[in-house]
Amino acid sequence: MILKKAFLFIKRDFLLSSSYRLSFALQLSGIFLSVLTFYFIALMFEGAAIPALEPYGGDYFSFVLIGVAFSTFLFTGLGSFSGSIRNEQMMGTLEAMLVTPTRISLIILFSSLWSFIFASIKVLIYLLLGVFLFNIDVTNANLFAALIVLILTIISFSSLGIISASFIMIFKQGDPVNWIFNTMSGLFGGVFFPITILPGWLQNISYILPITYSLRAMRHALLQGMSLKLLASDIFALVIFSIIMLPLSIFIFRYAIKRAKIDGSLTQY
Amino acid sequence: MEYILETFELTKRFARTKGFIDILRRSRNKDVSAIEEINLKVKKNEFFGIVGPNGAGKTTLIKILCTLILPTSGSACVNGYDIVKEDDKARECLGFVSGDERSFYWRLTGRQNLEFFASLANLRDPNKKVCEVLELVDLKDKADDKFQTYSAGMKQRMTIARGMLNDPEVLFMDEPTRSIDPFSAEKLRSFIKEELVKERGKTIFMSTHLLDEAEKLCDRIAIIDKGRIRACGTLNDLEKQIPPNEICNLEIKGISKDILTRLGDMEGISEISTHFSSDIAYVEIQLSKREALLPQIIERIVKNGGKIIACNLKKPDLNEIFMNLVDKRG
Repeated sequence: MILKKAFLFIKRDFLLSSSYRLSFALQLSGIFLSVLTFYFIALMFEGAAIPALEPYGGDYFSFVLIGVAFSTFLFTGLGSFSGSIRNEQMMGTLEAMLVTPTRISLIILFSSLWSFIFASIKVLIYLLLGVFLFNIDVTNANLFAALIVLILTIISFSSLGIISASFIMIFKQGDPVNWIFNTMSGLFGGVFFPITILPGWLQNISYILPITYSLRAMRHALLQGMSLKLLASDIFALVIFSIIMLPLSIFIFRYAIKRAKIDGSLTQY
Repeated sequence: MEYILETFELTKRFARTKGFIDILRRSRNKDVSAIEEINLKVKKNEFFGIVGPNGAGKTTLIKILCTLILPTSGSACVNGYDIVKEDDKARECLGFVSGDERSFYWRLTGRQNLEFFASLANLRDPNKKVCEVLELVDLKDKADDKFQTYSAGMKQRMTIARGMLNDPEVLFMDEPTRSIDPFSAEKLRSFIKEELVKERGKTIFMSTHLLDEAEKLCDRIAIIDKGRIRACGTLNDLEKQIPPNEICNLEIKGISKDILTRLGDMEGISEISTHFSSDIAYVEIQLSKREALLPQIIERIVKNGGKIIACNLKKPDLNEIFMNLVDKRG
């Protein structure tokens, strides 16, 4: 029953997304242009020995491609829960869903499934373009370790997304969680450059962001094929983050639902 | 269980919050009352109407009963389940039909929409149920058309189909004919009454501000104004509770305007209007205690040389009872 529900949510969102064909096509073609841009930026550093890139194999293109590709999960995790609530509120469908026996937490969780599937498709396209068109070397990749890192990444980013959705539930717009983690992760999370380039005191900010551990572990798993044992410190950080943030986010979300039901603003936007 | 829906002193007050700071402060003295101490009992298979002007609290009441809003105090049960403590179970027994046609995915077909909502209703065979409700609302032929191509009447029938997916004990309808033309509205009313109530034995709890709609459809009516139930019962009960003025139309020959004006001084006559055409006076009198007053009026007219050529009494309707209640207490 629960799997069928999840499937119907995915089917609904796929049908809705693909009904806007141009937008669908533009999103996918945007990936190619983005990869091309980073490829040409990377050409500038070709042959240069950059110490900060040494732990990742020394190639800037591989480094940035994995950073940009997997940061898609961060932005999806942060935005999909709040985005789905807001969309349903705007379309007027949230009310119709909330009078059914399905719990609101499941409704919100399932409403974001398609976003994660679409994010995975985008990441796969990034990697396929990188491997087959731009010769990124992933022959040593430890796919099992990468999968573990990916699962922990999705859990920790989703926890932030659920807190973000709680703000949307009460305040409708102006969500500080999304804003803080979106802007901070781009700058301090090691998406475009290694965090070791940052001054020491700014690196401290990087270490409180889950994306830092997530991208570092993912690069090491895919490019260097590091084992789970070697990735243990990053995985441990992501596990701690998930253990603290997931229950906290569920607690905050429950409070937000209760608050919105008291205020009568559950379906307002 | 005698009543399928019961409310006990159900009250909702909204805080007048504006933003983040207001929510943190939880200011209590700015609360606005939406509904106050509502006590209602609805029997199974009853068509119950809640009538009131805009902003009276009808939608808030329905949303509380559908578990979308938490009450401030008091309680309510749907099919015996407390709407706060057993909200999941309560939702299994209720259906909700709003007057808002936006509440579907416009780029999906009618069938895809219903299949999706059926999955949320935990149905064992959702596809069968979808076909059944599409047939019920006579939209089977259009089921595979996109929702955005439907007329307003068809969209409204889709909201009923969706509300019927879980075969609910109680169907809550919030102004179901609000956005459709009079012809479609009439068809929809007849469908609700004949098919849903008489054929399928559903209990309907409908809000409306259309008094003739409530009068035609509902077994019992509650009049709500400023969040309080002003009166509740069958139309006859309401007439007894709030005796309205009756209207007496007279056509009189050979009477002067002066005499007619002086009739207005009689106790029990609240309004009198006259106009003359050739030598016939057309008089409309609003009066209470008709049985006592009417013979006196006729006697006075006849004594003063008037000859009554027509007399017509108009029974009070819900509109008059409603205006009486809302005006007097509002």
